[in-house]
Amino acid sequence: MATTTAAVTLSSDLLSDNMSVSASTTCMKAGTEGDGLDMMDYGYIDIPTGDEYDLLDANNSGLNTNKANKLYIANHSTDETFYVIVAIDGVIGRLYAGDWMFIPWGAVDQHDDIEITANGGTNTLCYALFHEGRTLTAS
Amino acid sequence: MATTTATLTLSSTDLLSDELALSTTATLTTAGTSTGITQASGLSRKTLTYGSSAAIVHTALHRAGDYTADKATKVYIKNVSTTASEYFTIKIGDETLGRLYAGDWTFFPWAATSGTKETFAVTVGGTVAAGDSWEFDGITTTSADSTLNNFAAAISAQVYPNWTTTVSSAVVTFVARYAASDGVITGDTAITGDVITDLGGSDLTMAISGGTAGAGSSSPSDISILPSVHTGMTYETMLIHE
Repeated sequence: MATTTAAVTLSSDLLSDNMSVSASTTCMKAGTEGDGLDMMDYGYIDIPTGDEYDLLDANNSGLNTNKANKLYIANHSTDETFYVIVAIDGVIGRLYAGDWMFIPWGAVDQHDDIEITANGGTNTLCYALFHEGRTLTAS
Repeated sequence: MATTTATLTLSSTDLLSDELALSTTATLTTAGTSTGITQASGLSRKTLTYGSSAAIVHTALHRAGDYTADKATKVYIKNVSTTASEYFTIKIGDETLGRLYAGDWTFFPWAATSGTKETFAVTVGGTVAAGDSWEFDGITTTSADSTLNNFAAAISAQVYPNWTTTVSSAVVTFVARYAASDGVITGDTAITGDVITDLGGSDLTMAISGGTAGAGSSSPSDISILPSVHTGMTYETMLIHE
């Protein structure tokens, strides 16, 4: 069993008192407490403007669905006006240069692809998908 | 300028043959600028519990209509449950993001694209008498005198659970607090749930107008969660926005 830990710390001085929120989770397979996610896809990719691209394909990937998959995406662009629109059929939000996101991904059907549209210029993304494996189809 | 940072650390010593150690920090700024984001809603914590025979339904966590769309808004949600099999299904509009299992958290940008808030107007007409009343959205307004404009003003002064109002002479305009497609308007003559009580038989009328054009549409961005079990499941959430 692999042990993968995802920790977040949010801190700010935007309130009158300092704010600090921390959370840490060990990425487990769905419904288990002793069996960690043991598969990972990792990528580093330039996304040009002009079209919507599938960063990850839910339908043709063979990914086991409705599991405890976790997806990390970071926008490594450095121009603060650059952003990518991240969508799963519907728009989730805009990931600006320097921002990151970490979400569960059900990847239930063909509508659940992770879709990316670059704005401002070519955006550079880093992503990692932690998952429970795939059901592979012979070519 | 406020400085808000979000730091993620992904680490594992045995997932790969080499150690995984990824750490990234984002300084949260307003859309397209280097100016720090300045507003936050939360941190909040809530337990959702349903009766054993009750249907488990999606609970709206953040409504897009309350925020400006297409900004650099960020959402944090954590499933505080300690029972490994318990999860929240996270949805944005009609789309399922995924399952957030016990102890898991998520942090993501949010477009906050709102739908259309339903709106219609009611015109107080005919003749009103003291004691006449009009009921809508669970709120009953009783006229204090026989002046149409005063009755309209009294209707507008009420606090409605699901509507906001403005008044001009004898016309009260209602706007839904939240965007939704399954509203109360079925056209210019029908409204679900309004009741006129005309004590004196004085021909009080409450004409509906604008309903056809003012139909609402649901928000494609509202964030909702669905617990997997009836027994109490607790979440925490926070919104950092513009």
